[in-house]
Amino acid sequence: MTFRNKRRTAVNNVMLSLTGVFAFLTVTILILILGYLVYNGVTSLNVAFFTKLPVGPGQAGGGIANAIIGSVLVVAVASLFGLPIGFLSGVYLAEFGAGTKFAYVVRYTADLLNGVPSIVIGIFAWTVVVKPMHHYSAFAGSIALSLMLIPITARSTEQFLLEVPRAMREGALALGASKWKAIATVIVPAARKGILTGMILGVARISGESAPLLFTALGNQYWCRGLMDQTSTLPVMIYKLATSPYDDWHQQAWAAGLILLGLVLIANITARVVLTRGASVPKG
Amino acid sequence: MASPTSTPEATPAHRAKMRAENVNFFYGSFQALHNINIEFRENQVTALIGPSGCGKSTFLRNLNRINETLRGTRLEGQILLDGEDIMQEDVTTIRRRVGMVFQRPNPFPKSIFENIIYGPKINGMVKGNASEIVESSLRRAALWDEVKDKLHESAYALSGGQQQRLCIARGLAVNPDVLLLDEPCSALDPIATAKIEDLLFTLKEQCTIVIVTHSMQQAARVADQTGFFLLGKLIEFDKTDIIFKNPAKRETEDYITGRFG
Repeated sequence: MTFRNKRRTAVNNVMLSLTGVFAFLTVTILILILGYLVYNGVTSLNVAFFTKLPVGPGQAGGGIANAIIGSVLVVAVASLFGLPIGFLSGVYLAEFGAGTKFAYVVRYTADLLNGVPSIVIGIFAWTVVVKPMHHYSAFAGSIALSLMLIPITARSTEQFLLEVPRAMREGALALGASKWKAIATVIVPAARKGILTGMILGVARISGESAPLLFTALGNQYWCRGLMDQTSTLPVMIYKLATSPYDDWHQQAWAAGLILLGLVLIANITARVVLTRGASVPKG
Repeated sequence: MASPTSTPEATPAHRAKMRAENVNFFYGSFQALHNINIEFRENQVTALIGPSGCGKSTFLRNLNRINETLRGTRLEGQILLDGEDIMQEDVTTIRRRVGMVFQRPNPFPKSIFENIIYGPKINGMVKGNASEIVESSLRRAALWDEVKDKLHESAYALSGGQQQRLCIARGLAVNPDVLLLDEPCSALDPIATAKIEDLLFTLKEQCTIVIVTHSMQQAARVADQTGFFLLGKLIEFDKTDIIFKNPAKRETEDYITGRFG
């Protein structure tokens, strides 16, 4: 073996080890977090934790049922606004706006909105929803979260639509389909799985947000009585439990974190199943 | 003989179905086609040959106005279908009447049945006779016997050659007057190619066929007329026999004898 070849092999081995070590590090961190969460949280998990309202510090029993329900309500309403708006914007960006100035502005705005700190989104929602209505509400929280969901959905929808091969669009148009017909009957169905996956991941992402809910949905010791009532949510509940001075509340914060993680994990797994099931569209 | 259009002798049985008059075509400021004059006869196969980048596919893609979907393109001159300017007609009607089969098979991610019925459905041609349309279209594309037991399976389960015949059947399902084929066999093996060539002989009894091919042998086998394109110009257009045995132009002879390209 010449010196040159030896050097190449050595560099190759060093780089391989280096990247391997860091990949291992990434996984280790994730497993540490998961393990710590399970270790600390699992002891507080019981049926009451899922079905009962919170009780005061030092009292036995009690749960975070109102936060679970509250989170589901806030995220569901946010999805109701965010997903359709984001989806249709994504369709516009990919199919109609190609090359136009307007699409450029929309795309740029969506990326900026994606990068806005979530606490700022919260302040905005407080200003435009909570302040005029004079009270905190689940609805205000939903608006804040939907503002985060719209750009995520729009950009992922756009990406997956652009991956549909041009030949497939032309195939539909060549049969006499109008542009909209081709989009609705061929292109969107072809990108369906990717679009759905993007939506699920977007919803999972906003489920874990606490900052936008701090001064919109606020929190609630009791059950939320409707969309216009303030409500407890999992992330804000975790924040309150964790910043309290009580040890048993700290335990409950871990357990609540575990539940939130479980919900996000379920969403992620669902997304993967959706993505891999059945025949996929060939690229090229 | 100044005009590049040396029209083959007209026989009453084969009137001109489609005709291009003084067609210039631009991608942005680049002129891809220069003053094309050509006509396609009813129930005949016309082949367009020429080296890569000579404009033959670009020209074909103007015949069903699919080039319009590309940004920054511009067409000058006239393309007539049954004497009517296709630019004046509704674009979806033109595309229904002038079908197209692409270079690579492009079935939709749907079942075989849904692929075929897609065109008739969007054109409002299905009146409780979906099964008949699917069967007759698949028969016309010589694919029925191979797929009749798996009509509701994904079109991607078929081989490349079968997928291409599926695309032909899909195009035939809307009863086009003209069928355009853009190098339909370039992604296929010789056996699948032979099947498609055989198919063209029966299909031309039902419609007018224009095929772009980079294979001169294929043009010689399937075409009644052949046009030779070079650098965006139609150099020569005549009966296939004449193009291959006794071309009038030097460039044509050089190309078919393999002296360049």
